[in-house]
Amino acid sequence: MNKAALKRMTKRTEFYIFLVLIAMCIAIEIISGGQLFAADKIVTILRSMVVDGMFAMCCLVVMISGGFDLSFPAIASLASCLSATICVNFGFCETNPIIGILLAIVIGAVLGMFNGWIISNFKLNTMIVTLATQTFFTGITMGLLQLKEITSKLPKGFRNMGESYLFEVYNAAGLRSTMTSMFIFLVLLCLATSFVLKHTMFGRGLYAIGGNEVSAERAGYNVKRIKFLLYTVVGAMSGFIGIIRVSMARQAIPKALDGKEMTIIPAVILGGASIFGGEGSVFGTVCAVAIITVVSNSMLLLGIGTYWQDFFNGLVILVGITISAVQAKRRNG
Amino acid sequence: MKIKEYFKKNQYTSILLVLMAIVLVFFTATKGNTLWSVGTWKGIFMQFPEYGVMTIGVMFCFIAGCIDMSFVMLGNFACILGVKFMAAMVTEDMSNGQVALVILGAFVIIILVGAVGGVINGVLVSKLGIPPVMATIAMQMVWLGLSTGLTQGYTVSGVPNLYIEVGHKMIFGFIPFPMLVFLICFAVAAFILKYTTYGEKLYMLGTNRKAAKFSAINTDRMIIGTFVLCDVFCCIGSMLMLSTLGSAKADYGESYVMRIILILVLAGVLPDGGMGKIINVLLSVIVIQIIASGVNMFSNLNPYHASLIWGGLLILVLIFSTRMNGESTFSKLLKPKKAKN
Amino acid sequence: MSEYLLEMSGICKSFSGVHALDHVNFAVRPGKVMCLAGENGCGKSTLVKIISGVYTKDEGEVTFEGQKITKITPAEATQLGIQVIYQDLSIFPNLTVMENLAINSEITAGKKLVNRKRWEATAKEALSKIGYQIDLYAKMGELSVADKQLVAICRALLFNAKLIIMDEPTTALTKKEVDALFKTVRQLRDSGIAIMFISHKTEEIFEISDDVCIMRNGKNVYSGPTAELTREKYTYYLTGRELVEDRFIPKNISKEPVLRVNHLTLKDQKCKDISFSLRKGEILGVTGLLGSGRTELALSLFGLEKIESGTIELNGKDVKISSPIAAQKMKIGYVPEDRLTEGLCLQQPIADNITLSSLKRLANSFGIIKKQDIIADANIWKEKFSIATDDVRKFASTLSGGNQQKIVLSKWLSNDLDVLILNGPTVGVDVGAKQDIHHLVHELANEGLAVIIISDDLSEVVVNCSRVIVMKDGGIVGEMTGDNITEENILEIIR
Repeated sequence: MNKAALKRMTKRTEFYIFLVLIAMCIAIEIISGGQLFAADKIVTILRSMVVDGMFAMCCLVVMISGGFDLSFPAIASLASCLSATICVNFGFCETNPIIGILLAIVIGAVLGMFNGWIISNFKLNTMIVTLATQTFFTGITMGLLQLKEITSKLPKGFRNMGESYLFEVYNAAGLRSTMTSMFIFLVLLCLATSFVLKHTMFGRGLYAIGGNEVSAERAGYNVKRIKFLLYTVVGAMSGFIGIIRVSMARQAIPKALDGKEMTIIPAVILGGASIFGGEGSVFGTVCAVAIITVVSNSMLLLGIGTYWQDFFNGLVILVGITISAVQAKRRNG
Repeated sequence: MKIKEYFKKNQYTSILLVLMAIVLVFFTATKGNTLWSVGTWKGIFMQFPEYGVMTIGVMFCFIAGCIDMSFVMLGNFACILGVKFMAAMVTEDMSNGQVALVILGAFVIIILVGAVGGVINGVLVSKLGIPPVMATIAMQMVWLGLSTGLTQGYTVSGVPNLYIEVGHKMIFGFIPFPMLVFLICFAVAAFILKYTTYGEKLYMLGTNRKAAKFSAINTDRMIIGTFVLCDVFCCIGSMLMLSTLGSAKADYGESYVMRIILILVLAGVLPDGGMGKIINVLLSVIVIQIIASGVNMFSNLNPYHASLIWGGLLILVLIFSTRMNGESTFSKLLKPKKAKN
Repeated sequence: MSEYLLEMSGICKSFSGVHALDHVNFAVRPGKVMCLAGENGCGKSTLVKIISGVYTKDEGEVTFEGQKITKITPAEATQLGIQVIYQDLSIFPNLTVMENLAINSEITAGKKLVNRKRWEATAKEALSKIGYQIDLYAKMGELSVADKQLVAICRALLFNAKLIIMDEPTTALTKKEVDALFKTVRQLRDSGIAIMFISHKTEEIFEISDDVCIMRNGKNVYSGPTAELTREKYTYYLTGRELVEDRFIPKNISKEPVLRVNHLTLKDQKCKDISFSLRKGEILGVTGLLGSGRTELALSLFGLEKIESGTIELNGKDVKISSPIAAQKMKIGYVPEDRLTEGLCLQQPIADNITLSSLKRLANSFGIIKKQDIIADANIWKEKFSIATDDVRKFASTLSGGNQQKIVLSKWLSNDLDVLILNGPTVGVDVGAKQDIHHLVHELANEGLAVIIISDDLSEVVVNCSRVIVMKDGGIVGEMTGDNITEENILEIIR
């Protein structure tokens, strides 16, 4: 690695986010007397990163394109709960959850298409549009369809998928923790997102649109189609994530994801994505999600009640965005 | 011809009036007896003031080209402190006068906390240059976290009976007390926007912050002031909520953030800044509440049917208004104008 | 095959009944630089958009390389070898130089995946076309405007461009950078590429172009070799009148200076050791090239620049101007350079714009103000400056550049001022309004206002100023008074 490349690396936000993550982990490890780096703790943290990390990927790609998506939790809820309800009613997925997963993906894609259609055709502000569709989708879930909570009746296929694990670890007290196999999906999604963003013209197009939409159009990108496709894919992914969540929680609760966007979006911003578009990386986002998760999971280790985790998460994000804003201000004079 | 001209000039007022007519006709046709009863309207006027007052506050932010996502959580935090204060001070043998004095003290605390929250938001946005959405989302988490930490996630009760009684009083026998508060707030806000130099400057600031700065306007102070105004109004709304619910909790009224943004956008007050009339905000609040109350009259419908209608309406209005102007007035929403390279 | 690469004859285009282009004829020769000159709103950009296929013409004939072209899309124009470098350069500030160079051709080639090696090769090839060297992995947004411009040129060359259209490329460049750009332009010209250069700066046009086409009100009034054109004739064609502007003669200069600047140095070193004084009734011109520190000097007097050392005296007293508000209190007004982003709230009524910085005067002691007072006050200014509108409640965006500038002027003049600083007061203003504004400023000065005009339009400086300071690299390099103020004298020291 030459000097110029090194210098470029140190200029990037994700580099610092990574340093912060490492420093924080070490600090917590020391203060808690070596409880953080225990196998079971790490497994727990990784497990709770699955859903948030996957949502963060969806949020990231939208933000890179200069958009702002508030509707993905609503899509996930509607897609997963509707899919689960259908499966229960028709007796699908008792052994294999694949039909349910496909159903959720299709429902999510349709809802995402609706977002994409409005956003690409009417050039409306994405935050306002997705606020409207979020309200609308929640209305469909809870009002029109009146989807009910599914707990004990959840098809076995989902349950088995959620309970399957890669390996198990035991802590000092002999308690067993399992590494959920859903973690594979997080890894796959991160790798796929990273590949699309870095190595496909579609991905570079997202950066280009986020950087300068008019130029992207002049350069020959079909901006309308890219946006439509983007929101459709994000919708489909949200549906898929919804099902993963249902499987892991072993219950389908329509309200469970309410307000999720308010924790995911700040995390993505902390990871170096810009709400003005054109900036952001998978690595930074993963680090930011990890920071948030570690903070949430370390409250007990540090002897602080779990009730304070929201406060510390808020503080971390506030400090993070303040530092980057102050830096940006200094750079631009 | 005249109607057409009026329509063109007052796009949003017209849309809202038409919407209100449609909604009223629909519910009259389906549930006429229930809709036009004293009870229903009493309910309507009891319910919307709490978020109506908040809407008025956030409207100031929107006109200034900012957005506030933190107000509900800030209001909850303020109310938790207020309730704790009241619970600690009020003893059983106190006279009504003494209790009133304590309540007054709680008011001061709540308003002060609101003002402090506003100052913090304002400083983050103006002095540090953080985009309003980001700053206020982070502050929302901080306030929520503080409240949760402080209350361990429990409901805080101990609101004196007097407080709740006053909150449910009918003024002149037919105006619910919250409605009175709303009317006063509305009048104050309308006056500020229409007759003060601050209101005049606010629209200009929201349209072009840089030009306002070059016109010798103290933009930083204006922004901080606007957030203070916004959050104080929101805390007044939270106090009304406190009297309805009788207790405070970290996450009460969570859905109000989205609902209020929805009301404002429906009213043509866009977070882009410099746009919107307060009268449309009033109409919009009422339309939203009539839908909620109307849906409530059907035993087989739940409150989420209202959000279905709200979301659908907002989508339609957005699309409709873009179409009508021939070009998108909404395209540059919310984001600060990008600096030239 | 004709000697022309691109020939256009009888081009007409109208937008909702308004003729933007009215039978325009012009031609571009290969291997030559053609300048398209004209004031704002004369139809230059409409013409460019017709060539590049963004608009379709209503009437007329376009011939490119002897082929008649009836209808063309932007993509087809690119394939024919027509490249437009827009004023905003159409770059992606968040991507690297390499990506900016390669992305267009990759999209055109219909590629789906990114091949870094190929991108790098493409980028290197592009840079090699003009022998330009830059870090391929630098972020575009961090480059200087000049570098961005060269990258944009390289990108255009990748498409085997036969005709490159450059839309006002020199606006944001310093003199040095302009020279470098011209060197590249000549290099391209010598390799046989035709260049269409859009500008309104007299000096540049005479320096670089072989042919000139001058447009006015949608018609072309002159086209032919530059060599056959004199500067006077050029101005005549451009403006449509023999411009004999009244030179400003100060009538009423105060003895004591109202403003005195002593050894002023700014924190960012954009101005160094500046000293001058200004008396009432004077119009002081400050001129210099872009980046000479002229704007920063003005901003420091308006409280928007941090001062490192030196003092500012107002009426004999040392003052600290910390913000525009302080400047206003000290009776200093500033009409900014960029009217659209700094001067006006376009989507607000004219009346509100005029009264914005003098609301205190219109309000009572409680800060309460009536709408009709604002409108009444605005109407006074509308009459006084003959602002062309029927209703001051209309948005400022409905006005032309000249009238908009009058709004900004009235905004400040409705304050009680001692010093008025005008930065580029007639940029983007048509000729008639330009003279109006000049007369207005003359009158104000004679009524006892001290005026500073900052401008790089030398004819404006010569006509309007009783004294001129020339700035270069943040310092003062010359001062002239009276008859010594001529364009030649200024030009001599400005470089």
